[in-house]
Amino acid sequence: MANPNYSPSAEDEEDKRLMALVAQGDDHALRLLVDRHHPRLVGYLKVEVGSQTTAEELAMEVFIRVHRAASRWRPEAKLSTYLIHIAHNLVLNEWRRKSRKPTSTLDSAPEPGDHSHESARQVVELEESFDKAVSQLPPEQRTAIILLVQQDMPYEEIAVAMKAPVSSVKTWIHRARTRLRELLKDHYENQ
Amino acid sequence: MSQHSPSDLEADLATHLGRSRSVTVAGFADRVVLAVHAYRRRQIIRWSSYASSLAACLVATLVYVSGPSEESLIKQTQSLFRSDEASQLSAILGMADDLAMLTPVVDENFIVVEALEKNEI
Repeated sequence: MANPNYSPSAEDEEDKRLMALVAQGDDHALRLLVDRHHPRLVGYLKVEVGSQTTAEELAMEVFIRVHRAASRWRPEAKLSTYLIHIAHNLVLNEWRRKSRKPTSTLDSAPEPGDHSHESARQVVELEESFDKAVSQLPPEQRTAIILLVQQDMPYEEIAVAMKAPVSSVKTWIHRARTRLRELLKDHYENQ
Repeated sequence: MSQHSPSDLEADLATHLGRSRSVTVAGFADRVVLAVHAYRRRQIIRWSSYASSLAACLVATLVYVSGPSEESLIKQTQSLFRSDEASQLSAILGMADDLAMLTPVVDENFIVVEALEKNEI
């Protein structure tokens, strides 16, 4: 989990302080830590697994594991990267357990019947197409593109979170973009 | 359906994914703390169970190990008893020896002759 380019910021220092308190069994510090990190974690997991409920359950498991490992945690990378790394492993386990890819329907997807105008209908169609296209990506490509586009993570951090070389991450992202263009060609002009 | 340019795809993807970039769940931290407490309780129960099993194994081992010792203790006791009996016997015999030493030497033939004379056989 070590990132050679990692230089801690003020936020990272605060995470480090909170983790030290969590290791001592401080529930208040755990609350603060969860409040700081759960929104992005649940957001990431929601796109990965396609369900708000499952995303929350997995995020809960991530924080329980973090609490368990708090005393052993060494700040060699950002805590958020560490959380995403655990979450990614849980997602892989979830997929293995179900032996299939997660459903592409997100809980937050708008209801088709809610729109009467043509433009609104097109937006909904496009949203659904995006959900479907992202869900059809191979796991590595999907995770890499989500972490890059949704979580604004640099390649190096994605590599740390996915425990893969940076070159592999770049390849996955390139392939994911190519695949998305193919899957969404009905909505976009061919290049 | 209106067509977008390919360059729009990147922007639309960012917009689409960015919509769920941050999902705040009310009361999530409390739920996590409760889950952690439940986890701690489970751990305590698990370790108590392990400790009980270990203690049971320890007691069983002690009982098993103490079996031969008890036997040897019985043997020792029995041998002590036996040695005690031997000492008592030797004490009695020793005393008998002492008594024998104190008994005056009697000529057995003389006794027979004397008895015959008295009865005038």
